[in-house]
Amino acid sequence: MSTHVIRFEKVSKAYPGTAKPALDQVSIDIEKGEFVFLVGQSGSGKSTALRLVLRETRSTGGRVHVAGKDLNRLAGWKVPRLRRQIGTVFQDFRLLPNKTVSENVAFALQVIGKSRAEIKKVVPQTLELVGLDGKGERMPHELSGGEQQRVAIARAFVNRPMILIADEPTGNLDPTTSAGIMKLLDRINRTGTTVLMATHDVHVVDQLRKRVIELDHGRVVRDDAQGAYGAAG
Amino acid sequence: MQFRYVFSELRSGLRRNLSMHIAVVLTLFVSMTLLGLGVLMKQQSDIATRFLGDQLQVTVYLCRDGDTNPACAARATDEQKQRVVEAMEGNPEVASYTFESQEEAFEKVKELYGADQFDGDNPALTAADMPESYWITLKDPKEFQGIESEVQGLDGVSQIRDVHETLKPIYEWLDALKYGSWGIAVFLLVAALLLVANTIRLAAFARRKEIAIMRLVGASTLYIALPFLMEAVVTAVIGVALAGGTLGAFMWFGVHERIADSVKFMPWIGAQEYTTALVVIAILGPALTLLPTLLLTRKYLKV
Ligand SMILES: Nc1ncnc2c1ncn2[C@@H]1O[C@H](COP(=O)(O)OP(=O)(O)OP(=O)(O)O)[C@@H](O)[C@H]1O
Ligand SMILES: [Mg+2]
Repeated sequence: MSTHVIRFEKVSKAYPGTAKPALDQVSIDIEKGEFVFLVGQSGSGKSTALRLVLRETRSTGGRVHVAGKDLNRLAGWKVPRLRRQIGTVFQDFRLLPNKTVSENVAFALQVIGKSRAEIKKVVPQTLELVGLDGKGERMPHELSGGEQQRVAIARAFVNRPMILIADEPTGNLDPTTSAGIMKLLDRINRTGTTVLMATHDVHVVDQLRKRVIELDHGRVVRDDAQGAYGAAG
Repeated sequence: MQFRYVFSELRSGLRRNLSMHIAVVLTLFVSMTLLGLGVLMKQQSDIATRFLGDQLQVTVYLCRDGDTNPACAARATDEQKQRVVEAMEGNPEVASYTFESQEEAFEKVKELYGADQFDGDNPALTAADMPESYWITLKDPKEFQGIESEVQGLDGVSQIRDVHETLKPIYEWLDALKYGSWGIAVFLLVAALLLVANTIRLAAFARRKEIAIMRLVGASTLYIALPFLMEAVVTAVIGVALAGGTLGAFMWFGVHERIADSVKFMPWIGAQEYTTALVVIAILGPALTLLPTLLLTRKYLKV
């Protein structure tokens, strides 16, 4: 189990008040350093799987292991420590509109108690890594969508997490911009960070040729080591 | 670094919701003042009970040496006391009784006028000048004639004091003040609780984006809740301080400068009782803002 950064063992998730489970006996192993696409039509359970990894919600059956921890047994007060090992990126960026780019990235370090010296050192490095050097003093609304998503990625990555979770990070972006973002995620993956990305984006998946797990109505219907968005012909 | 964040958040939090915070401070101020007033009145009526007996009480003073009452030949003998005891035990109106010795009576006098008055070689009063007495508690304050007339004629009894008529208005006033201020305080405290709850809800809503991101990047619950808790403490401290000041002014100008000098038949609440009231509001005030804050932050900031 030690090399599995994320491990789902027959995981089911039924939201209260719903007849059909969002996830139904899902088993997935993801090893350290992997890049995994999670695909499937709307409502197939992709976001639910990601929320389970973050322990935003708990499974109703089976076990979720993340970074060696059984999340169903993880005490509530240890959840913050778990989340410090996971960076998260969303379709809608979720930047703080009244903070500059640098401040947005620094915020993620401040609130987990990192020293000012460290923040001062790491934030510019990370902005450079995501291709935003020189734009640290801009406000989010002064940036394009692609640039805003880079800020969000910088914020997710600034603490060098073990895992990067991305829920349709290119969902709001045009194909060219998306390609840039994917390049960045690939680069982050090469530093050893495990990337788990839910997406609808055929293009993106087909281009990168990474592992593809397809969900359908909450079940894993495909798990290809170097897959395409659609089932291999 | 952590502190810097907490204080800057605290400052902006207090400023953002200034009108709500002022409302919380004011309701806390008034409710804590009333609560403290009730505590003071409670202590005053305890003092009154100790000195004057409660409303159900009849005091039987026994003869002492040199008694001014011509009916007293000499100090009441043990035999005479025994008669009084028998009368009390046999009377259905009596619920209970206690004996007060000369020393105990003298202690009360010293407390009332200050012990230093009775120091020295030739004090104005000694324990020997005080009468012994029985303090009778009645079953029903309206049923006192039987025991009074029975004891009245006994040898060795100097005087019977039935204070319930004289004391009634005093007790009624103290009780009215005590329960009145507590009653109003309860209403205001409910208002304060609701205001605190609303303030937190507004603040949590205003900061929902920050809070969502803090949770996501793994900020601890305490860290997220700390600005809210600090806001609660600050408003509570201001409200309690204002109430403490008002109670202090009441103690000084109302009790110390006015009543205590003119009305001397019992001691009045002083620094010690004021301290008790302060302790009560200093504990209750912050508790009343912190508890809802803890509960609600758990709800709104759920990790
Ligand atoms: N909080 C919730 N309460 C109840 N049902 C939910 C909740 N969140 C999701 N669901 C249901 O669970 C199922 C899976 O939802 P999920 O968001 O995981 O799908 P998804 O694959 O991410 O879809 P999309 O591609 O549209 O984002 C859906 O049927 C959805 O209606
Ligand atoms: Mg989704």
